[in-house]
Amino acid sequence: MRKDAVKFGFLSPGLLYLMAMAVFPLVWSLTLSFYRWKAATAAPRTFVGFGNFLSIFFRDPRFWNSLRFTVLYVAIVVSIELSLGLLLAYILSERIRFRNFFRVLFLLPMAAPPIAVAFMWRMLLNPDAGIVVKILNALGFNMVRWLTDARFAPFVLMAVDIWEWTPFMFLGLLAAMQSLPVALYDAAQVDGASRGQAFWFITFPLLLPIMVTLILLRAIDAFKLFELVFGITGGGPGTSTESLSYYIYTVGFQYFDLGYACALSWVFLLIVLIMANFLLQRLRRGI
Amino acid sequence: MRQARKTDPFFVVAWVVLVLFSVWTVFPFFWGIVTSFKSPGEQYTTAFLPFAQFRPSTYAWQVVLGQAEGERTRQGLRNSVLISSLSSLLVLFLGSFAGYALTRFRFHGWKNKDIASWILSNRMFPPIAVAIPFFLVMRTLKLLDTLPAIVMAHTVYNLPLATWLMMDFFRELPEEVEEAALIDGCSPFQAFFRVAFPLSLPGIVAVYILCFIFSWNEFLFVVTLSYRKTMTMPVIIAGTLTVRGLDFWKVSALSLLAIAPPVVLAALTSRFLIRGLTLGAIKE
Repeated sequence: MRKDAVKFGFLSPGLLYLMAMAVFPLVWSLTLSFYRWKAATAAPRTFVGFGNFLSIFFRDPRFWNSLRFTVLYVAIVVSIELSLGLLLAYILSERIRFRNFFRVLFLLPMAAPPIAVAFMWRMLLNPDAGIVVKILNALGFNMVRWLTDARFAPFVLMAVDIWEWTPFMFLGLLAAMQSLPVALYDAAQVDGASRGQAFWFITFPLLLPIMVTLILLRAIDAFKLFELVFGITGGGPGTSTESLSYYIYTVGFQYFDLGYACALSWVFLLIVLIMANFLLQRLRRGI
Repeated sequence: MRQARKTDPFFVVAWVVLVLFSVWTVFPFFWGIVTSFKSPGEQYTTAFLPFAQFRPSTYAWQVVLGQAEGERTRQGLRNSVLISSLSSLLVLFLGSFAGYALTRFRFHGWKNKDIASWILSNRMFPPIAVAIPFFLVMRTLKLLDTLPAIVMAHTVYNLPLATWLMMDFFRELPEEVEEAALIDGCSPFQAFFRVAFPLSLPGIVAVYILCFIFSWNEFLFVVTLSYRKTMTMPVIIAGTLTVRGLDFWKVSALSLLAIAPPVVLAALTSRFLIRGLTLGAIKE
């Protein structure tokens, strides 16, 4: 079976690499999640069975807080990014001059390193000297403490996310719109359809499948929110902007409570994999 | 036609929306550039017109790239370039092999589609879930704070996407050319290296650039696996945060240094970027 040797020769390097570097670490993490292992103390590693998971679900308000924040964050940013992106894509799908210029311009936020984005916004939003805060103060918002008030800080983070990722929705939808058949629009025009009707009865239904894919892609990505929290708020004030990723990072790399952090990771992983499963089913239709 | 279009209210609204959104998108970059040319004494002012409102100063750039601190920045840039280019190269080889196998051969038992989806599912993992065991693996192997550790982490981070996109490219390539090469006496590996690989070179370059950008921007693995020698630009930016607060001029200059390479690369491959970011769901 020479052919078998050839095909596995091509496939196995990548597959083995993933087994060694993704599957093995995750399996190790799963075993660790059944232990209490506080690496910062001298206490030995002890087997606790499902103890860590019981703690997560029943005795850890901080987990539920971070989950609630993350879900709320994802829901809000994805819906706003989708609506804004749809609006912009619709506008640019008409024959606008400099279209390619805008296309490149709007790529900038998502090509920049997220941590650089976070620190630039931290500078802009600095309570004493940030230019955005100064502008907002001049507009009469001087009573609002954007980053130090737990009521507002989550929304500030969402605004930065919207700045960073609306272009993703926009460019994705624009590309999709341009692949729609022109003949349909010509027919609609002949039948006397208005621009709004053409959008609602042709563009929107045809775009729906790709919109679902984009929403899933963006939601899964937003769910892993880490850099913006790390760079802008550090999870604060209090724990009001603590995302799941950031909470696990704190438990793992600041408290060095490794067993518990692994258990949290696996809960997180399962939540993400449920979402990812929907996306994978859609994507594999394309192959 | 053009006259009619100018008075069309749709286009008036369109341009207003476009200009507003462009200002909103560009403003943070603009402010970063302005601030990086301010002296520390002026860093917190609202002045933004050089010469008219403030005297441009290269102080920030001198500090960031100069003698004492400059060594750190240069090391960060060097690490970033090394890690991104090496890991992307590794990704390219492993990914194009696997992508080729999954488009040109049929696997039984575990079908091609299942293997491909499984590979891609690795992309969906939250990096933090992998980061903790990865840290422990690298500690055991005594590889913490070394380049190989970060290169390996970034390779595993980019490999699923690269495999998936390479499959796309090989599928678009007509199989007949390779079959002809095989009939002419090429081995399957020769057919890959001499025919399929060169023919899909544009796609391969695009995938390389995309992986380079992702690796360059990656923060979590680097911050957990390095603490001194192997810091990349994103971690150096994060290091500017001190108890004394934030030096605007320094953050601006460092951020611009970290932002420029991926942004330029993205602009050059703008048509491919959205295809890569949507995992091939949208082709332009």
